[in-house]
Formats: sequence, C-alpha cells, structure tokens
Amino acid sequence: MKSFLTITTLIGLVMTIHVNAATAVQNALVRVTSTQQTWSTSQPWDKSRPSSRSALGVFLKNNHILTTAEMAANSTYIELENADSTRTLAAKVIAIDYESNLALLAPTNTDEKSFLSGLQPLELGQSANIGDTVGVWQLEDNGMHLITNAIIQGADIVSSFTSGNYFLTYEAKGSLQSTSSSYSLPVIKDGKLLGMLSSYDSKDQIIDIIAPEIITAFLADTADGNYEGFPSLGISINSTVDPNFRLWLKLSEDGGGLYITKVSKGSSAENAGILKGDVLVSVAGKPIGRRGYYDDDKYGRLYWSHLIRGSHKVGDSLKVTVLRKGEKKELTATLARPVKRLIPAHTIDQAPSYLVKGGFIFQELSTTYLTGFGKDWQSTAPLNLLDALSSPEDYEEGRNKLVFLSATVPTPATTGYERIRNYIIAKVNGQKISDIPALIKAFETPGTDGLHTIEFAEGRPKTIYLDAKASDAIDAELLKRGIPKLSR
Amino acid sequence: MRKLLPILSLTLTTLFALSPAQAQQQPLTPVAPANNGIYSSIVRIEAATQVPDYNEPWKAGRFSGGIGTGFLIGPNKFLTNAHVVSNSRRLLITVHGSPQKHPARILHIAHDCDLALLEVEDFTPFKGLEYLQVGLIPKLESQVRVIGYPVGGNRISVTRGVVSRIDFSTYSHSRSDQHLVVQIDAAINPGNSGGPVLQDGKVVGVAFQGLRSADNTGYMIPTPVVKRFLKDIEDGSYDKYVDLGISEFPMFNPAMRKKFGLERNSPGVLVASVTPDGPCDGVLEDNDILTAINGNAVDAAGNVLIEGEKVNMNEIVERKFSGDEVQLSFTRDGKAMEKSATLKHFAPAQMYSVQYGITPRFTTFAGLVLQPLDRNLYAAHNFKNTRVRRLFAHYIDEAIFKERQDIVILTTILSDPTNTHVNSHAGKAVESINGEKVTSLDQAHALLHPTNAPEFFVIKCEGVERPIVIPGDKAAEASKRTRSNYGISLPSRLK
Repeated sequence: MKSFLTITTLIGLVMTIHVNAATAVQNALVRVTSTQQTWSTSQPWDKSRPSSRSALGVFLKNNHILTTAEMAANSTYIELENADSTRTLAAKVIAIDYESNLALLAPTNTDEKSFLSGLQPLELGQSANIGDTVGVWQLEDNGMHLITNAIIQGADIVSSFTSGNYFLTYEAKGSLQSTSSSYSLPVIKDGKLLGMLSSYDSKDQIIDIIAPEIITAFLADTADGNYEGFPSLGISINSTVDPNFRLWLKLSEDGGGLYITKVSKGSSAENAGILKGDVLVSVAGKPIGRRGYYDDDKYGRLYWSHLIRGSHKVGDSLKVTVLRKGEKKELTATLARPVKRLIPAHTIDQAPSYLVKGGFIFQELSTTYLTGFGKDWQSTAPLNLLDALSSPEDYEEGRNKLVFLSATVPTPATTGYERIRNYIIAKVNGQKISDIPALIKAFETPGTDGLHTIEFAEGRPKTIYLDAKASDAIDAELLKRGIPKLSR
Repeated sequence: MRKLLPILSLTLTTLFALSPAQAQQQPLTPVAPANNGIYSSIVRIEAATQVPDYNEPWKAGRFSGGIGTGFLIGPNKFLTNAHVVSNSRRLLITVHGSPQKHPARILHIAHDCDLALLEVEDFTPFKGLEYLQVGLIPKLESQVRVIGYPVGGNRISVTRGVVSRIDFSTYSHSRSDQHLVVQIDAAINPGNSGGPVLQDGKVVGVAFQGLRSADNTGYMIPTPVVKRFLKDIEDGSYDKYVDLGISEFPMFNPAMRKKFGLERNSPGVLVASVTPDGPCDGVLEDNDILTAINGNAVDAAGNVLIEGEKVNMNEIVERKFSGDEVQLSFTRDGKAMEKSATLKHFAPAQMYSVQYGITPRFTTFAGLVLQPLDRNLYAAHNFKNTRVRRLFAHYIDEAIFKERQDIVILTTILSDPTNTHVNSHAGKAVESINGEKVTSLDQAHALLHPTNAPEFFVIKCEGVERPIVIPGDKAAEASKRTRSNYGISLPSRLK
C-alpha cells in the first residue's frame, strides 16, 4: 500500500499520464503458480517429487501471458490468479525458450471471460538507456502492488537459466523485498513493459532484466504459432590478448580478433566456410576486439555473440570476416539454430528415453544425468561418461545419442552382472546403437542361440550375453513389480 | 570404502635432530640385561625423514620423522615395515631398557608389501640376543600378542587380541597392492608399526595398519608375505611381486555360461582383459576361459583351493617370484589349451603406486613447470582435468605406456610477462611441443632447451585448442627471471 501511495503522491500530481500508466500495468499483472516435476535420473520411468513456485506474469495481447522459462519449465500444472486472488484459471505453455529464459502462456480455456475481462494487455516498450529509472512490480498477498525503483547501470550478455546461453541483459541496482517464491517479475518503464526480471542478487542488490530486444524477438518468433528459437553461429573461441599469441598468429599489434578453437559440424559457421584456427575479426560490419567485445551503437561495449543471437533471427544472412594465415576472408553466414548435440545440455520438459531389458537399464546420456551425481559431479560422475561429455567428437560416429547401461537391477537374467553400470553401448546383436529406438530394434533379433549379445565401447569384459527368453520373462515380472513401462 | 592408515607417529623434528653425532658418541656396551628375554629383541626405530615436495619439486622437501618398531630375526637383521623407514635420512635403533641409540641403515625395502630389513652399523652390542622365529598363519579366533612402541609412552607395550579375519586386502603404504592380511581385535596404534605379533613364542605377523573408522581393529602382515620377502632378497636384491596381468570376470551368468558352452559345474573364469606387454600377453586372450593354474582348478568366481581354503587365484602367483613359470589351462573357442607364462614384475604399473625414496623429476621453462604423471604427483595436485584423469586411469589397459614413457603434465605456471595469458593451461597434459608429440620428460626437456631457439616455442595441451606460444628470443630470459623470482634453486631434474 505504502509504495503505491508514494509513487502516486510524488509523481502522480505532476504527471497524470503516469497514474493512468500505473493502472494499465496493474491491470496486466497476473500471478503465475506452476507445479514442476522432473524425471528421476536413476529410475527414468519415475518422476521426482513435485515442487511449486509462484511469480508474476504480464498479460499481453491475444490473451497471452509472458513469464520466464524458469517458471514454465518442467511444469505439470500452471495456474493463473488475478491480483486480488479472487479468480484462478489453468494455463498452458504456448512457447518456451530455455536459452533466453522466456515463456509465453495462454489460458487453457479462453471462455473464462470473468478472469480475462478484468485484464488489459500491456504494451511492449522501447529499450532503456544507462541511468534510466525503472520500476520492478511485485504483488503483495493482499493484492496491493509494490513498485521498487531501480537504476539501470549497464547492459551485458548474461546466461540466466540454461548455462552457456548468453543474451542481452540489463543490470540495474535496486533493493527488492521477497514477496513470493520466485523473482520472475515484470520491469516497467514509462508504463510499458521493459523486460522481465530473471535474477536478483540480494547481496549486491543487482537486478538482471531480460532486455526488450530479446523479448520482442521472442514474441515475433511466436507469432506464427511455430516457435523456432534464437540463432547461433556454432563456433568456440579464445581471446587474442596474449601478445605472444598475436605474434604467432601474425596479428597486428593494434587490432582485435578472436581465435576460433572449434567449428561445430553442420553449424552456420561450417556452412559459411569458417575453419578452426581462423581469427574472427568482424561480424555484421562490427570489428571484434581481442576479448570479444564490439562497440554497440546503443549500449557501448557488448560481447560479440549479441550480434548473432540478439540481433538476428534464424535464416538471416550476415557478413563475417576472418583472418586465415594473416589473409582476410569475407564470408557470408546464414544463421541457423544450434546443432543438436550428442549429449544434450539439458532435458527440460523431456521424459528421458530408456529401455529396461532383463534388469539392465539403458538410457541416453545427457548433462542432466551427469549433474545428478551431485555438486561435485565433474569429479564424482563416471570418468568414461565425463570424457564423452568433454570430447563428444570421439563418440559421434554412427550415433544420434550416446546410449549407455545406467544400472543393473539384480534379476536371474543379470546374475553376475550386478556391478556393471555406466558402460557406453557400442553394439547389440551386431547392430550399431545410435539411440534408444535403435536399441529397442536391435533387441528384437537375438542370436540363433537365443542369446542377446551386448558389446560395450569399453569395459571389462567388452561383451556380455543375456538370455532372450529369460529376460523377456523378467521384463514381464518387472512390469508386475511396478515399473509402468519397459521403454520410452 | 574403508580408510587404512599406516601406523607411524609423525613428529616434526628440526634439521638439527638429523645429526647422527650424539648417537655415535656413546660407549658401546651390551644393550640389555639378559632377563629381558624376547623384549630385548624388539627394538624401537627412530626415523628422521625428508619427504619430497611434488608441488615445488626443486625444494628440499619436508623434514619430519617418526617412531616405529622392529625385531631381530637373524644376525644383524631387523625386520620392520617399509613405511617406518621410507624416505628416511637417518635411522636409530634403541633396545628396551637401554638409553643407547644405534645408527642403522636399510638393507632391503619392499614397498609393495610394506616390509624392510635393517642392519645396525655395529652389531657387537646386540650379540647374544634372541632371534625371533617366523611361524605360520594363526588360526581364526586364536589369541595373539602385539608388542611394540606405540604412542602414549616411551617403554615397550604389549596388547592382546584375537584373530578375527584372514583376507586379501589393500596395503595402504603403496595404495595399489593387495596381499593377504590378518585382522586382529587388538588395538594397533601409531608406533606399533613393524612390531611382531606373537603366538606361542613365534612371530605370526608384523603389525602394520589400522582402521580409522573402527576401534580395536588392527591389521598385520601374515607370515607367507614375510617369508616371501625374506626369500626374494636371498639373492641380494628385492625383485618385487609378480602379477599375471589379466583381469577376470566371474562366470555366474547362465547366458554367459551357455555362450561359452560351460556345463553347470565346469570350472573356469572369463579372461576379461590381458595387460599389454604383461606376462600373459600373447599367452591368454580376451574371452578365454581360464580353468586351472598349475593344476589348481579355477572356479567360476576365479578362486582356487589352497591348503583347504578357497582363495583368489592370484594367491598362487603371490607366492611366486620373478622368472617363475606358471602353467595355464584354458579354453579358447571351445578348445582346451595349455600354455605357460613367465612371471615378471610389470614396471609400468608403478604409475599407480605411491613411491618412496626418490626425488621428483621435473623441468622448468619460462615459468612453466613440467612433471611426469604418477601417483605421487596426482596426490599432490589432485588433477581435475578429464583428459589427465583418463590418461592416468587407462595408462596400462590402453597400452599408453608403450607410446608414452611419461605423461608430461604442465602442473604449474609461475606468472611472468611471457606467460600471463595462459594460466588456464595449468593442470593439463602436454600433447606436443613444436609439433612433436611429447612422450617423455627427457624429450620434452630437450625440445624446450634446443641449442638454437626456434622463432616460437609452441606448446599444445591435450583438449585445449589454443596453444601456449613463447617467442624463442624471450624464452631464455623468462626462464632466468622466473628462476630468480620464485626461488627455483634447480631448473630441472631429469633423473
């Protein structure tokens, strides 16, 4: 109550427009509560215990509600609630982008006029400047809104939800209070939506705001009902700050450039003819510095990846200049989505694929599985799986996904095999295993001796056998014992 | 996983304590009154040690010391644990009830079974003392006495316990060796190490390690291991344990048994892998079924029957010596075969053993410190890099040792203007220098110190695309500067 009064009395008298603007914001705020559930990594047929979190969404045109991907990820049920908690409505996800941390929701039933009629869509605003004051909106339990002013201190490229995905983010200073379980909140400037708060550091009182450019691009992508996602060039880079390194690369003393250490197979970069060892000197006409920054017209020094991910969309072409053995090469890259990885970085909203055979549990490896080994997973997870994660190119041949034997349930068919786990699968019954469907297919044809042959990529022993009839009988038994399905 | 700790009370002594002068000045008189009997033959061993520093290998290391126990088993032959005297710079022996300290030295040391044989410089005062006799393995539930000089006092201590388990277990001194171990319920404490465990007046074991997580649990080295050590050194040198060099996989699974055509009760264990260049390389192959060693039938779990006890088949090899032959009966593709293998110590396996009494090898170059990978280095640096961990784990089974005598690690980067931007390379394995694959520390040293410096030294680490580049004309100066700035007293040690 108090915050609202402060704003209206101080500013409202002078600028009546802002009072109207504040009402407009108030009428667009929706409480979002989502119940989230992930899948168990060790028993992939099970879901883990559900948890729930709540935050705010912003009502936009077409009855859509914008919130963060973090709020909508792994959701089993999303409920919308109006500000004074008098009405609720179930919602579904229209589009979700784990990389930029944005999600668009819609009511599952738009006939619920009573809920929607109280809402007014909020307009999207323009970008902000450094030094601008913006308002972060929260709702108190009693339905009153709470506005916290924050001053934008800078713009940077930040990865917020899924690691390794950097997008334009405003960093603002302000002291927020905690009103609900999550800081997914709208940030307003001049009565319009500037961005979504993605994280808040209470120690330094730094607020991260997903920039309007990113929200605009996200919403534009959702417009045709077919969400594509943000583009990527597909290279790994290293700085060229080291003068010795520059000398060796024959780079000029005053120039910039990034050393390209990897070009992903099938990526935009590979298609454009970029090679490992090239030095990236400009993107879309902007010279790139030795640490990877360029001079942005609006925000000053920004990391080069914004020129790709935040300034273009899939299908756009742009000019890329590289130095190859000291010689300048002008290349054109047609941007595409990042290439699919052998070991996916996350499995959000995806039920893990698996197969249970005679007590063996086979899965497809993901980073999510490895992080399941705890905080120190990089040293406690199995070394062979970590190696596959750090050098996937050694395992890519003939594989879509990396299938491995994640655990062995002791059964009569797996007697003597109890200690076999986390072995990567090479072949089953002579067939190369590219993913779980291929594995399921391979198990359909046991040898003439009635045995399945399982070959590991490495392991002692390299080959083991499983009785086809016995394992089928055990599979039936496992179903009776409560495993709902033998494969997914 | 249980944690075993070597029983050695470590006390930090100063450099001055290393002087042997005070010990030698004392007059030599017979060490003990006759009525002390067997106690006089059980001696206190005082070790002053110098433990090398694997983080800064040019340094002298840490000076410390400890107390252990030993016992007389023959003319000027004192038996004790290897870990009591490892890395020692000075050894002193004292007899129960005597103030005299007698300088001693190591005759033979076996780190793989944690035993050592010492001699004193002058045996005259010990003449007439009783020699302890080495007996047999004590029976389960029988009572034994542990005698030694554990913490809590200076005089001899005696505890009693019951033999509670006889098993194959890890010897924590080397961390990589497994031999027969007898567990007793008498407390074995720091200082007891190397002391005799007695039954009916005979030695039935050497007290050597305890269990951190349990009270009143002590471990002793049983007499077959002691006897093997004493026999091995008869020719004047210790030739170490030998190994079959195979890993076996139990043949319990019915489908597995069917595939290999094994009847319900037919013997044999699966050969899951054969160590390249090991004693069985070229003799056995993967997927052979090993059915007997020297005529002793091997069961599906890999056990053999010796003296009425089922023990792991490696127990047969345990009692053999370098150069001995074993007769292997096996089935390959359904055909029964018979071959012999000559046992030998497998040197590359040293990668996994803690090593003692050696000085660390290393070389430095423009602030970069290069060291060969082994257990000691691993323990000091706790490498996190997946490639390094993988090279370590698969050094033998993937035959990496054949190509690379050393896995050279860039352990440390001492900041210098020439290397400030390559800090993230520390802790990685060196793959190549100037395009040449690095296979040993000597070679890496030679590549980094050529007569004529190249335009650039280009050092590539495994799994890191961006190489370290040091201009040839700046390298010598950078080496000199870092040596003086960081107090590197020795630029390299290759031996």
